[in-house]
Amino acid sequence: MRDIFRAEWLRYRLHAVLFATAHLLLLAFFMRLADLGQQPLNVYRLTGGCYAIVGILLGMHQTGTWRRPNQWLNLLHRPVPPKHIALGLLCAGSLALCLAIVVPVGMALAWQAWGTARVVDTRHLLVPLAAGLLATGGYLAGVYGMLADRRYSACGLVLIAWMAMAQASGAAFVVVQCMACAWLLVMVLGAFRPDPGAPPHAVLQSVVTAVPLMMGVYLLLVLLGFIGELAWIMQGSHPVNMATPPAGGYVETERMSGRDRMLAGMAGSRLPEASLWREQTGLSDVHTMDRQLGDVPVRQSMSNGASTSFDDEEQRIHWTFSHDDMRFEGIHMTDGRAAGLLGVGANGRPFEDIATPEGTLPGMQKGDVALMAGDTLFQYVSASRAIVPRLRVAPGETLLGTTPVGGSLVAISDRAIYVFDGRHLVEGEAPVAARQRVAIPGASGDLARAELVELVDGYLLSFTFSRHAYDLLGTAPRQSILRVTDAGVVTVVATRALGADFPAFYRYRTWWASPAMYALSDGVLAWSGHPGPYATYATPPVPRASILLAASLALLSLLAGAWLVSRRDLPLSRRVAWTLCCAVVGVPGLVCLALMVPRSERYVATRFRTAHA
Amino acid sequence: MSDVVIETRDLCKRYGGKLAIDHLDLVLERGSIHAIVGANGAGKSTLFRILLGFLPATSGEAWVLGRDSRQLRPEDRERIGFVNEEHTLPGWMTVAAVTAMQRRQYARWSQPAFDEVIGHYRVQASQKVAQLSRGERAGFNLALSLAQRPELLVLDEPTLGLDVVAKRAFLETLMHSNAAEGCTVIYCSHQMEEIERIADNLIIMERGALRNMSPPDDFRARVVHWVADIPFRGPDARLIPGLLDEQRIDGVYHYLVLDQGDDFADFLRACGARDIHHMPVSLDRAVNGFLARHHAAPVAA
Repeated sequence: MRDIFRAEWLRYRLHAVLFATAHLLLLAFFMRLADLGQQPLNVYRLTGGCYAIVGILLGMHQTGTWRRPNQWLNLLHRPVPPKHIALGLLCAGSLALCLAIVVPVGMALAWQAWGTARVVDTRHLLVPLAAGLLATGGYLAGVYGMLADRRYSACGLVLIAWMAMAQASGAAFVVVQCMACAWLLVMVLGAFRPDPGAPPHAVLQSVVTAVPLMMGVYLLLVLLGFIGELAWIMQGSHPVNMATPPAGGYVETERMSGRDRMLAGMAGSRLPEASLWREQTGLSDVHTMDRQLGDVPVRQSMSNGASTSFDDEEQRIHWTFSHDDMRFEGIHMTDGRAAGLLGVGANGRPFEDIATPEGTLPGMQKGDVALMAGDTLFQYVSASRAIVPRLRVAPGETLLGTTPVGGSLVAISDRAIYVFDGRHLVEGEAPVAARQRVAIPGASGDLARAELVELVDGYLLSFTFSRHAYDLLGTAPRQSILRVTDAGVVTVVATRALGADFPAFYRYRTWWASPAMYALSDGVLAWSGHPGPYATYATPPVPRASILLAASLALLSLLAGAWLVSRRDLPLSRRVAWTLCCAVVGVPGLVCLALMVPRSERYVATRFRTAHA
Repeated sequence: MSDVVIETRDLCKRYGGKLAIDHLDLVLERGSIHAIVGANGAGKSTLFRILLGFLPATSGEAWVLGRDSRQLRPEDRERIGFVNEEHTLPGWMTVAAVTAMQRRQYARWSQPAFDEVIGHYRVQASQKVAQLSRGERAGFNLALSLAQRPELLVLDEPTLGLDVVAKRAFLETLMHSNAAEGCTVIYCSHQMEEIERIADNLIIMERGALRNMSPPDDFRARVVHWVADIPFRGPDARLIPGLLDEQRIDGVYHYLVLDQGDDFADFLRACGARDIHHMPVSLDRAVNGFLARHHAAPVAA
């Protein structure tokens, strides 16, 4: 193994050094332009995708050259077990990737830590490791792609997709990457044998290959549905793209102005004051209650779900939130020197949650910034260079946004709407208590729109729950209108059921295509993730028609699977296992069987003789 | 130790509708140089791949050095040398590095054997493999294989693409090197003059099936070139016994026939021949005639 490793390392070392140099120069260039440690998720995804592609290309090149018949024979026909040869090659390839990817990223990180005043947290130490694991995963997928039978050799990419789509963050994400790489390694070692194109023999190897293959087929089926949707859009009858959406549906409601939506919601109200409220709505401003916080940041996550830095243009200081200190660290914008730490209150205590800047609020002085962190809205006061809490929602809730409404400030959390007196906010820097609290009549993840109209003696609130009306996660779309008085009494004005617009066949396509694969993908992607306040849904049960469709597909797969295994050269136990797999997994299981287990050559011979008889 | 190095029983390999190995029963004895010849697509390389465990057979069994070819272990591979026509060696490594690697991997490595064989070539230890000429690479590959002191050495068209000088050097090394002593050699080639020089046993494969296994001279003796002056039209080719090839040159009929004794002269006389001669043929002519009989050829103008 050591000899093979040395020989292969000799092959790639110069290329690795050249790549590492170019990579380092590129990182140095970008580090002059931006703080690479504070980039949003998409930047990391793009960079990670590039690393994975580099790995894939290396794996394909390395294995592709060895995989030619004579090269393969020369490589494996030696007194060394194939797995040792494989490990030698893989270690050399991984070392090359380490030099080309991990070392430059590590050097860039070291420069950031010791050469600048920028924030470097513990989470950043994981970045080189994560980059290396992404590249290694791509590399192993590339190796497997060249080793295994062409009909299913691309299934290693499913594990790369797992890395890309996993909801885990920070150290948990590194664990996900390690698991994906370990899985790919088992796949590669199983395929690394004199006849690599032959189907896996051992049960473990069959399972390790079949699971990503079935998942890949499932994802392709889902993608096929997406292509069908594109055709639907082109045809012009897609509800979202129709010139005039279906009447009474959620698309029509979402396209309305806030005023029209509120009026439509109240149209069915039988309360005696309803006509008066409709009249007031027609005359008043309708305020949309936005949720400014796009994605709630997770502590020690490698990327930033939301921006965690802001500029104090008055003091000329750039403040960046540190996950280690749970405080802001400042850098003088004039000369790049450190400007110290900034916590909450006079003694600068750490934040309890990650703070994200959300612009300014009415009454704030120049340079001041509003900061949201967990259940609290803070104010950064530029003049005194201090951060003070200004308002708080109920403990356990997450503040998601604020909207000035007349002399008040309306805050929206994941569970309720709060109304604060704006005058108290403008005067002084003391915390302000909520005047009213109205619980949101639905799940936060379902909420698409929230509007508010000021009445003489209170407020009218409209909530549209249709955020996931196009898929199986969301509740049946509906609109609720509430009225809250100045005294805090809440009355339901109307509840309007909205048309689903999309048929259940479409909404549940990811489920009926294979309930087992749906559950698996859902569970695997969500593993160790932080769902956040937007991921709570009032998911309704699966409709009977979709259950029947899934059951029919499972039955058809079972029958087709039984027919297929009867034409395969398999022992009885495997035939039974494959047939059951087709029944449980459905179409992906059936396609997996057809791809992984080829027709026996004896069967082909019989067919050939029969055809020529 | 068994006297049989390779044995196949009813071995078949099918690629879709094509039978690459056709119920092959083959037994090769230890200690000889066995030459395997056959047209392209005769199944030679497929046979080697099955024997070395790199390709599963459709049916039948194959043993190499007493071991089922599907279950060859690293220690079995140590006893089997293999040289292919591409001489696939890592081009980025130096000769010394490749040699050192092989030396560490093969427990029975013989440095004197390596030095003896490599001494026939102008190969320097510091040269990269990619810098070697094709002939030097072939010699280096042979030196590596013989230094392993294999019990069985499989050479799959090792002189393909070599010039005359390199080819001769390769064969001389193989024939006269002490390192090759006691080693059973399977030699696959299209070069009949090479086979004539080195082979003890000639195996002819055609369309995946075994057609001949005998010493080369015995096979050559089976093929005779008859020349007959037939004033009128010669006999119908379909009626000529053992016919491999028929030509008419300057009005004289030339017949290449297999397994026909002096009785063939009587047959020709009965067909009206006046003047009849026969002569032995070279191995090249005999094998080519044998292999060409079932192949479609362009009709002579």
